[in-house]
Amino acid sequence: MSEIVLKVEDLHTSFFTRSGEFRAVDGVSFHVREAETFGLVGESACGKTVTGLSILRLLPEPAGKIVSGKITLDGTNILELSKKEMRAYRGAMISMILQDPMTSLNPVYTVGNQIAEPVRQHQRIQDKNMVEEKVISALRLLRIPAPERRLQDYPFQMSGGMRQRVVGSIAMSCYPRLLIADEPTTALDATIQAQYIALFKDVQKETDVAIIFITHDFGVVANMCHRVGVMYAGKIVETAATSTIFKAPRHPYTNALIHSVPRLDRKDDRLYSIEGQPPSLLNLPPGCRFAPRCPDVMDICNEQQPQEVEISEGHSVSCWKVK
Amino acid sequence: MSDVILEGRDLKKYYPVTKGLLQRTIGWVRAIDGISFTIERGKTLSLVGESGAGKTTAAKAVLLLERLTSGEILFEDRDIYKFSKSQMKAEYRPRVQSVQQNPWSSMNPRMRVRDIIAEPLVVNTKQTKEQIRKRVLELLEQVGLAPNQADYYPHEFSGGQRQRIAVARALALNPSLVVLDEPVSALDVSIRAQIMNLLKDLQNQFNLSYLVIAHNLATVRFMSHSVAIMYLGQIVEYGDAEELFQHPLHPYTRALISASMLTLPEDAEQGVEQIILKGEMPSPLNPPPGCRFHTRCSETQDICSKEVPEMKEYGKQHVRCHHVVYR
Amino acid sequence: MPEKASDSETTARPVVSGLSRRARIMRRLTFIVPVTILSLMIIMAIFADLAWLGLPDVGLAPYDPVKMSLPDRLMPPFWDEEGSTEHLLGTDKMGRDILSRLIFGARISLSVSLLVILITSFVGTVLGILGGYLGGRTEAFLMRITDISLAFPPILVAMLLAVSMGPSFVTVVLAISLLGWAAYARLIRGETLRLRQMDFVAQARIIGASPLRIMLRHIFPNVINPLIIIMTLQIGLLIITEASLSFLGVGIPPPAPSWGNMINDGRNLVDTAWWISTFPGIAIALVVMSGNFFGDWLRDKLDPRLRQL
Ligand SMILES: Nc1ncnc2c1ncn2[C@@H]1O[C@H](COP(=O)(O)OP(=O)(O)OP(=O)(O)O)[C@@H](O)[C@H]1O
Ligand SMILES: Nc1ncnc2c1ncn2[C@@H]1O[C@H](COP(=O)(O)OP(=O)(O)OP(=O)(O)O)[C@@H](O)[C@H]1O
Ligand SMILES: [Mg+2]
Ligand SMILES: [Mg+2]
Repeated sequence: MSEIVLKVEDLHTSFFTRSGEFRAVDGVSFHVREAETFGLVGESACGKTVTGLSILRLLPEPAGKIVSGKITLDGTNILELSKKEMRAYRGAMISMILQDPMTSLNPVYTVGNQIAEPVRQHQRIQDKNMVEEKVISALRLLRIPAPERRLQDYPFQMSGGMRQRVVGSIAMSCYPRLLIADEPTTALDATIQAQYIALFKDVQKETDVAIIFITHDFGVVANMCHRVGVMYAGKIVETAATSTIFKAPRHPYTNALIHSVPRLDRKDDRLYSIEGQPPSLLNLPPGCRFAPRCPDVMDICNEQQPQEVEISEGHSVSCWKVK
Repeated sequence: MSDVILEGRDLKKYYPVTKGLLQRTIGWVRAIDGISFTIERGKTLSLVGESGAGKTTAAKAVLLLERLTSGEILFEDRDIYKFSKSQMKAEYRPRVQSVQQNPWSSMNPRMRVRDIIAEPLVVNTKQTKEQIRKRVLELLEQVGLAPNQADYYPHEFSGGQRQRIAVARALALNPSLVVLDEPVSALDVSIRAQIMNLLKDLQNQFNLSYLVIAHNLATVRFMSHSVAIMYLGQIVEYGDAEELFQHPLHPYTRALISASMLTLPEDAEQGVEQIILKGEMPSPLNPPPGCRFHTRCSETQDICSKEVPEMKEYGKQHVRCHHVVYR
Repeated sequence: MPEKASDSETTARPVVSGLSRRARIMRRLTFIVPVTILSLMIIMAIFADLAWLGLPDVGLAPYDPVKMSLPDRLMPPFWDEEGSTEHLLGTDKMGRDILSRLIFGARISLSVSLLVILITSFVGTVLGILGGYLGGRTEAFLMRITDISLAFPPILVAMLLAVSMGPSFVTVVLAISLLGWAAYARLIRGETLRLRQMDFVAQARIIGASPLRIMLRHIFPNVINPLIIIMTLQIGLLIITEASLSFLGVGIPPPAPSWGNMINDGRNLVDTAWWISTFPGIAIALVVMSGNFFGDWLRDKLDPRLRQL
């Protein structure tokens, strides 16, 4: 098996606000290997983005803080790096793609300019032609047609799909070890999304980059990810290979999520639905966080938090039902 | 004999594109360009397509938010553009209601839920305060909210609950047709099923007709009786929902279905290939000649770039394509 | 971080209070100090005397502001060797008590501002909502007038009007209001244009609500916040405008005291009797600053709610 690029152990990230401590990420552990895509799935506000930002150490200051945990990239604990060292890691070793292609590019600079920036900064290349070459190869990596001509374009001259590819080119321009993609396809149309995902699979084959793919769409997970972590209210409740998650989910939340999504390959009359909504992070239940909505809830669920149990190779679940 | 509640005939909406200080018109965006459809009583028609296909424009025309460039809309066999103002106010407006995509902007943040749901009644009927109060409570119960929530403001609710409020408001006047523009796409995954089930239950209970606008095919399959697939302002395939999903005839429909299918990693190894379309949807400002889809179609032939395909009937389906292979 | 439009109970992003203790105290001070000053000024204006209760002899002001007493003329403030505690802030060249004039001046200057704010905000809001919501010719016409109004120097127009109508309290109010509504009209029109695009306005049309109902029930309540913010920010500007007019001799006619004409009174004596114009000057500065600070504070306070729309 290929080597582990990133390992996150028991990560706790909180926001300290006027109304109290928001435990946005509360004990998350997972790892990603070379050339592997790890999907982080979950509903709005469950802490996916905050996990991603914690790995980059780009939490909004001063409210957001990593309280405890360990994040190891290629054997280095990046939480121990100085700010300056961390800056050198960002863009070169780890990079991130944000959700909205419309706002993640600066409207006043050309596309070429924006891709050149990380190249200049991290690879310390000053020679103009060399920079341009790198930029073109980054555009080519994301299959942007006629890259030589596209260099001079401004973001507003491009469609949403093209812009998102440019964002991808910026992220990949220094061939990072780890790419965090935060819902990069949510704003795109189905056919464009399919293109983008196919493209990213190719990019991964070419560069062996490890990808953390954040999404709330199980369709995207199925098409893109090798392994998945399902998040609920700041915790990963189940981790497994993608096909296991779909065929034999063990956590009631995973099960409910998968079955509440309508299927394209058959006609359903009714959808399985979970009542209620995720708990407020300020007011978490003492036991399992899913207990108030869980169809199989037992007494202990309301009292104590379940521990993570590895039920088979690479399949872990945090649920009292699973022994 | 089917009972048609609303029929659109050859609807067109062109938006002018202006330039310069003098606002000279330099072209037209053909947002919808000759679409026809029928909605049956108690049934659901879905308009599906990618961003910019013209779905919202069609819905806005039905809701009278946008005046069409040409075309007829027949409501219970009567041309609504021939209605007088008072007929419109009495016989069309109250009977065609809508639920919008974004539950965070579809409600006046300064009004209480009670007043939001009551507004259609206040505007359109002469009911007493007491009657309205009772009706609001009844509606809240029908959409699964508690009576004591009537006095809250919209920002005190979650997205799913707000969408329930929006449904209650749409039902207040006992409409015949409800236009649902992306009713669940702004909601959390675990909440979507709740709302979709609710919408289906209400349809059965009150024999409602729905015009659903959506881009998610799985949602559409769950909700609809018939489906119209739109591409660049036109309907390319139209017909019975089950037929269409089981035997898609237009290459665009096939691509769309394939793009939305779950393909697990081992499916891919077994050679279940996704159809990946090349390129992107061209601008509706100057759509390609001939078949509008030919620039991205994998089966394109000479004729496709030259002649505009007509809508032809194949069993229960209508398809706009030169090379349909039917059975 | 991509901002989602989510704002339900469970997903609401709380306001970050990463501010240090000192910053928080400062922020509270920028509220308390201006509000205190403004309240004091208003109390001064109201209780300068109680003539409006039928008790002309009772009040905060120690003397009648227009009563001349030539023997006492040009007395400096009490801390000066030649000053006396009978006239705490001294007297002017006609022997009138500065403190009393200052207190009565608050009444005149503040009521001018208040009236002008009420008139201009009403007119501006009505025209702004009409123009923004109805669009078309109405909008084009209203916006041309607004642009023209904003193009004139207000002092000049007010002077012309004052000269032709003769100076009086009413003239001053009308003169300042004549162009003042335009700033409101422009802001409210912009807000209306934005709100008109919102789904809830479309929804109101779908249920058949009339344009008047939409403007009153759906647009107006949502422009109140920005309206209040500029109303407070205008206090300062209006005090200054009134003072300028009075200073130029076309404002509140003497002997009635307004802060502006008090400064005018002392204009030629600044080197010998500095106190005549300095105290009203300080009063103006205090009110203007308080108005602006309070307006900024309100903006910070109300804005996040606006974004929630
Ligand atoms: N700057 C912040 N200040 C305070 N709380 C925050 C901040 N950013 C995020 N949070 C809180 O952290 C939690 C997790 O947020 P996060 O953005 O990671 O969610 P997410 O899983 O990415 O959701 P989405 O699908 O909506 O993007 C939320 O409850 C959110 O309210
Ligand atoms: N008011 C307008 N003026 C000019 N062009 C418009 C206007 N409204 C829509 N259009 C254009 O008409 C076309 C169809 O728009 P429409 O909103 O109907 O698409 P849609 O199918 O609803 O897409 P989406 O999924 O993004 O909502 C688009 O190209 C759009 O840019
Ligand atoms: Mg996120
Ligand atoms: Mg739309």
